[in-house]
Amino acid sequence: MSLLAAILIISGLFFFTGGSIGILRFPDFYSRLHPAGKLDTMGLLMTMTGMALYTVQEFTLAAIFTSLKILLIIVFVFITSPTATHAILDAGVRAGLSPWTAPGKGERE
Amino acid sequence: MKRLGLIAIIIFGGLLFSITFELPDLGDASSPASTHVSPYYIEHTLEDTSVPNVVTAILADYRGYDTLFETAVIFSAGLACFFLLRIPERKAPKARFYRHLTTGLTLRIEKGGRIPEESKEFERIDSAWVPNDVIINMTCRLVVPFVQLFALYVIAHGHHSPGGGFQGGVIFGAAIILFAISNNLRSTTRRLSEKSSALLGSGGVIIYLGTGLLCILLGAGFLNYSGLSVFPGLDPVSARSYGILIVEIGVGIAVTAVMVWIYYNLASAGTQEEGL
Repeated sequence: MSLLAAILIISGLFFFTGGSIGILRFPDFYSRLHPAGKLDTMGLLMTMTGMALYTVQEFTLAAIFTSLKILLIIVFVFITSPTATHAILDAGVRAGLSPWTAPGKGERE
Repeated sequence: MKRLGLIAIIIFGGLLFSITFELPDLGDASSPASTHVSPYYIEHTLEDTSVPNVVTAILADYRGYDTLFETAVIFSAGLACFFLLRIPERKAPKARFYRHLTTGLTLRIEKGGRIPEESKEFERIDSAWVPNDVIINMTCRLVVPFVQLFALYVIAHGHHSPGGGFQGGVIFGAAIILFAISNNLRSTTRRLSEKSSALLGSGGVIIYLGTGLLCILLGAGFLNYSGLSVFPGLDPVSARSYGILIVEIGVGIAVTAVMVWIYYNLASAGTQEEGL
């Protein structure tokens, strides 16, 4: 159980790292939102699942309640984080920001 | 003059900086605060107030005055925003916009034009109206009740876990603001009007103050909740616990209402007609 939790947390951190690199390296607003929305949600999902598993090791009622609360965090972040990304992206579209295109691949009208 | 100011800043800044070296180190076990003050609270809180969370007991009971005036400060912040931003006269807007609910048709009513205000067919919309986003709307509708429930939990559970009136009030106010952002200002003020948010804000402070005054009337000191033990079923210790709870509820109401009130004034630039 402990090993499984460690594997989950480490792979979650891997996703977080990828997300941070993506936010820093991608060329424009829309493509930066992609790692911010997707990888952070995935990383949080995995780290939190790992923590829930780690907490439930000693099988008491209090530990089960704690890990249930952690699972609730996962549920709500899973609902709200993509929605927040969607809202930010929508605001960008409405403000008239055009997406980035690769230089030399033909100008957009 | 400028140079004089610089010299004064350097002298007094250096003085302040040199004094910081005289302060006890962070977490120093032999400092006066750690040898006299903290151990008293840690040892006596549970038997004095039957509240396991020492922070809550200190905040609302031992230092009740401090928290009372903190609440008053929050209320006066809301009041300051009201006085600075609110535009008092209700100038009739140049044109109003209505949307037919079934067809999505938009009507522009010039000044002096008439439309039944309470019509079920038409909905008043902002002049900078954007189509409602179904995803954001549904998610906020799903999340807001849970956020409010969590806020009440934080207020009520402040005796046992981190939390209390300020934190719970902020979460509750954030839930209402989330509703206002996802829908619009008009449908929010229909549910919690500006007047009632102002009344709730002052009402929260009055609950706090009234508890203190009630303690005086019952023969104890101001904000000494053990005076509440004249009510049936309470001994002095549990009376202090309940007194803390009442005060925290007052703080929660005040913080919620003031947050929402400030948001109304900021989002609508003082007109409270239309906004985000």
